[in-house]
This record gives sequence, C-alpha cells and structure tokens, in this order.
Amino acid sequence: MNIKKQFKEGLITNNPVLVQLIGMCATMAITTTLFNGVGMGLSVLIILTCCNVVVSALRKIIPNEIRLAIFVVIIAGFVTIVDLLLQAFIPALSESLGVFIPLIVVNCIIIGRAEAFCQKNTVGASFFDGIFQGLGYTCVLIIMCVVREFLGSGRFGGGLIDIANGFRFTLDGTGGGIQIFPADYGASILNLPFGGFLTLGTLIAVMQYALKKSAKKKELAEKEAAEAAEKEVEE
Amino acid sequence: MKKILKLTFILFLICAVTAGILGGINELTYRRIEEQNRLKTVKAYSAVLPADDYEEIDFAAAGIPASIDKVTIDKISKAANGSGYVVESTFSGAQGNITMAVGVGSDLRCTGISIIKHSETSGLGANAASTAEVGVNFRAQFVGEGAGIALKKAGGNIDALSGATITSTAVTNAVAVSIKAVSMLG
Amino acid sequence: MLTNIISISLGAILINNFIFSQFLGCCPFLGCSSKVDTATGMGLAVVFVMGLASAICWVVDTYILVPLGLAFLETLAFILVIAALVQFVEMFLKKSVPSLYSALGIYLPLITTNCAVLGVVLLNVQNHYSFIESVVYGITGGIGFMLAIVLFASVRERIQFSDYPECFEGFPICLVSAGLLALAFMGFSGMSVFG
Repeated sequence: MNIKKQFKEGLITNNPVLVQLIGMCATMAITTTLFNGVGMGLSVLIILTCCNVVVSALRKIIPNEIRLAIFVVIIAGFVTIVDLLLQAFIPALSESLGVFIPLIVVNCIIIGRAEAFCQKNTVGASFFDGIFQGLGYTCVLIIMCVVREFLGSGRFGGGLIDIANGFRFTLDGTGGGIQIFPADYGASILNLPFGGFLTLGTLIAVMQYALKKSAKKKELAEKEAAEAAEKEVEE
Repeated sequence: MKKILKLTFILFLICAVTAGILGGINELTYRRIEEQNRLKTVKAYSAVLPADDYEEIDFAAAGIPASIDKVTIDKISKAANGSGYVVESTFSGAQGNITMAVGVGSDLRCTGISIIKHSETSGLGANAASTAEVGVNFRAQFVGEGAGIALKKAGGNIDALSGATITSTAVTNAVAVSIKAVSMLG
Repeated sequence: MLTNIISISLGAILINNFIFSQFLGCCPFLGCSSKVDTATGMGLAVVFVMGLASAICWVVDTYILVPLGLAFLETLAFILVIAALVQFVEMFLKKSVPSLYSALGIYLPLITTNCAVLGVVLLNVQNHYSFIESVVYGITGGIGFMLAIVLFASVRERIQFSDYPECFEGFPICLVSAGLLALAFMGFSGMSVFG
C-alpha cells in the first residue's frame, strides 16, 4: 500500500519536475534526443537511489549542523563514480551530456529528497522513494524528448534506436532513429533552447490542468456522497 | 570548541572515505578512459584519411602559425602510410567552438572531414556532425576540394546546410585553412 | 590576448548566455525573478561569487589537483570550495560591509546550489582557460546571468496584468515567456570578434 502510494507520488502527484518544479536546468537543456533523455534519466535515478540509501542509513550519525555539507559530499561522490563509469563504458553518452553529468551534484532533486525524505525515513522507504522519484524524472525527460524530436525533426528515438539494418538499440549514440516524416517539414524551432522552455511550460500547464480537474472531481464526489448521506439520515 | 572539533572530524572522515572510494574507482577506470579517448581520435582520423597509425609532427617548427584566419591549429599528424596529413583545428561556429579533423592528401586536396566536438544547435548547425543522411552528404561535398574551396554563394561548390549558414561558412573556412597549413609544410 | 578576452566576454554575456543558451542556473532564474529589485540583488551576488569561485577553483585545480593526479576529484573539490566560499563571503560581509550584506545576504546561501556557479568552474577546466581567462569568463558569465534575470523580472512584472489560459498560471507562463527571450538572444549567435 505504502509503496503504491510512493509510486503514485513520484510519477504523478508529487512529480519532481512537473509538480515540485525542481531540477529544470537539465530537463530543458539535454532533451533533444531520446538517447540523451534516457541516459540522463537513468543516471539521475541511479545516483538518487544510492544517495537516498546512504543518507538514510547514516541519518542517526550525521550531526544536524553540518548535514547539508555531508549530503553534498555524498552526492558529489556518487556523481563522480557515475561520471567515471560513463566515460569508461558509454563515452558517447558522457560526451553528449557533457557538463550536465557533473552538474547533477547541484540538481535540487537529489539534495531536496535527502533533506525532505531520507532524514526521517527508513532505508527501505528511502530506496523506493529514490527509484520512484527517479522514474518520475526519467518519464518527464522521455516525454520532453519524444515531443521535441517528433515535432522538431520528425523522428523518434534518435541516437538510441537504429533501423537501418533491422531494429536494434545503439549504445554508442549513432542510431538514426525512426524517421516518421521528413526532417525538412519539422518545426526545428523546437530543437532550439526556445523549444525547451516552451515544451516544459506546456507540460507543466497540462499537469496543472489535470491535477485541478481531478481535485474538482474528487470534491464533487465527496459532496455527492455527503448529500446522499444527509438524505439517508433524513429518511 | 569540542563540538566544532567533533563536527570537523566527522566531515573530514566522510570526505576521506568518499575520496578513497573515488580513488579506487578511478584506478579501475582510468586506463579504459584513456583507451576510449585514443580510439576516438584514431576513429575520427581514419574516417578522413585511412591509415593504421598517425604520427604527430611539430608544425610550429615548420613555420606554420598557431592561428590562421581565426582558425586555431591544434595538431597536425602525418599518416604512417605517407598518403597525407590530418589537421586538427578549433574555430568558433554559431554557438561555440567546433573541433574538427581534416584529412589533406599529398595532392593538397581534402580527403574528408570529421567533427570531433561541437555545441551547435541541434537540428540546424549540429547537422554538420550528424550521422544522418543530411550530415553525411554535407561532409561528402568536401572530398576532392582544393585550395579554392568556398560555399556556393561565394562562387564555390559547397552547398550550405539549410538554416546553418554560419556553421557551414566556419567549417568551409577551416577546411581551406587546413589545406593552406599542409601546403606550407611543403 | 585582448581579442581573446573580448570574445570570451561577448560569448558569455550574449552569444552563449548562461541561461538562454546553456540552461545553467534556471532554478534561481525562475525562483528569484518576480521583482526587479530581488533580481538585481541575486544577479549581483552571482557575479561576485562566480568571479571569486572561478579564481579560487582555477588555483585549486592547477596547483593541487592536477599535479597530484587527482583530477577525478574535481567535482567534489569544486562544490566544497564553492560552499565554503559562500559561507566565508557571507560571514565577511556581515561583519565588514553590513550595507552590502543587507542587500545580498539573503541570496548568498541560495548560490551554493546554483548550477551556473559549478558550471562555470567546470567549463573553465574543460576549455583549458588560463587564470585571467577563467576570471573573465566567471565575471562575464555572471553579468550574462544578471542581464537575463533582470530582463526577465521586468517581463514578469507585466505578465501579471495580462490574460492567459488559467492552467498556465504560475510557472508555465513564465517558462513560455523566458523561451521568447531565449529566442531573442538567438539573434546574437554567430557574432564574432575580428582580429
């Protein structure tokens, strides 16, 4: 039950980007191809989960006065590990994300979760929180990439999928993706920084609309239930 | 005072443990990272001028300036099979610096270009480096061009990338500079 | 040398503006831009810290990390330097220049997690900048940030009086208008210094 609730919070009701409105720099900067989006999302997911577990395991030892400094050191440690591993094993990803991999250190999602959640919760709960919040972040990145790539260059899965010699996944970022309509007809403005701002703005607006609507629905249902209950009492 | 010492000690301990772990990971990965970087260079070079090995030469000693026409020359390497030279240069594109390898054959004609690093706009200038058809076609135009290389609108043979005149001009200029530098080698 | 510095400054302020083209520092950009006054304060604090951090991190990197073969610790070392630097600047201003402290004080703690600051020191290393180039890049990058945030704050003050779809309330409409500003900054791309 609790895990289910955490899952819903991470992906929808308390989504790090769309609802908490944090960690937006990378969200707008790197979402030009699906390859970048999936790579960045999974990197953050791994770092977030590791940091969550370590922080919650050490929560009784960490003195309150210097907790932020210690969080930052732990986060920087994991970020460097992921950075080195990417450079060694998936160099294409490390090159195309560039400075945004080390910048995960100052991504507010990770330090925010450490401060708001892991300090007060058990290792297990923090582990799942890391996974679900990371998944929520990855989903937003993927949606952004798919929208920008499709409308911008008429493509799906750039860098990650190659269909030239049968369908296969490319980890070296060379896949041409699936061309849905010719790139010349794409609104290439979406590939520019402007596209990042516009797509994220629209996504958040859609999210606000959906949350508002579901809140209204809930309110209405409660009201009806209350009225029904009142009627019953009267009868 | 005792409290401050204790806090400093804890912080120091955590830093030390983290640094130690990172040292271990670095020890495990640095050879692979170096190898990956070397492979990348060889791959970029062999795409523009096929050879088994490349030998970097001291171009400053040959009297070639480090910068010609706003293009900085980083390295000039000689192909081991004597078919020509690869010039690695850095210049500014539309959004930032572009690093490019240009193969120049012994007949002073371009044998191919490969963009190693860039930060051009995705979908526009970045097409110059793309593996998609548009990028491959753009780069193929440079093969066989000589010292008089120029964009079509400047009277040459090179079609600019659509929407990326600045990038195309910069790349063409850098190819011309690379050919010039090799011709100065004699 | 001079042309190099001018071209770095031009690049950092206009062509490759930290916010509109590199997306570094978006969180404080959106968080602290509701009023022109706050935006100016935040911008000044960022210029100050980015310049100082560039200088100190360059020294740490060139004279400590690289000679010892510890370049892989760069991220960790830089973030600690920045955090400590922000603390010291805050304490120093509080004691010695209280007037400046009252203007910048509340923004200083926020700067530690501003990715523009960590971004600029990492980019200095990546671009192999010399000491002077690093400091110039830090300061002009900060000026670029300040320009962006002040411009945007004045746009935002006008947004309040305009009509937009209800669901765009708050962040979304800000992001869209920031996007339009980014589009305007695209006009600077390709500018270069002759020399």
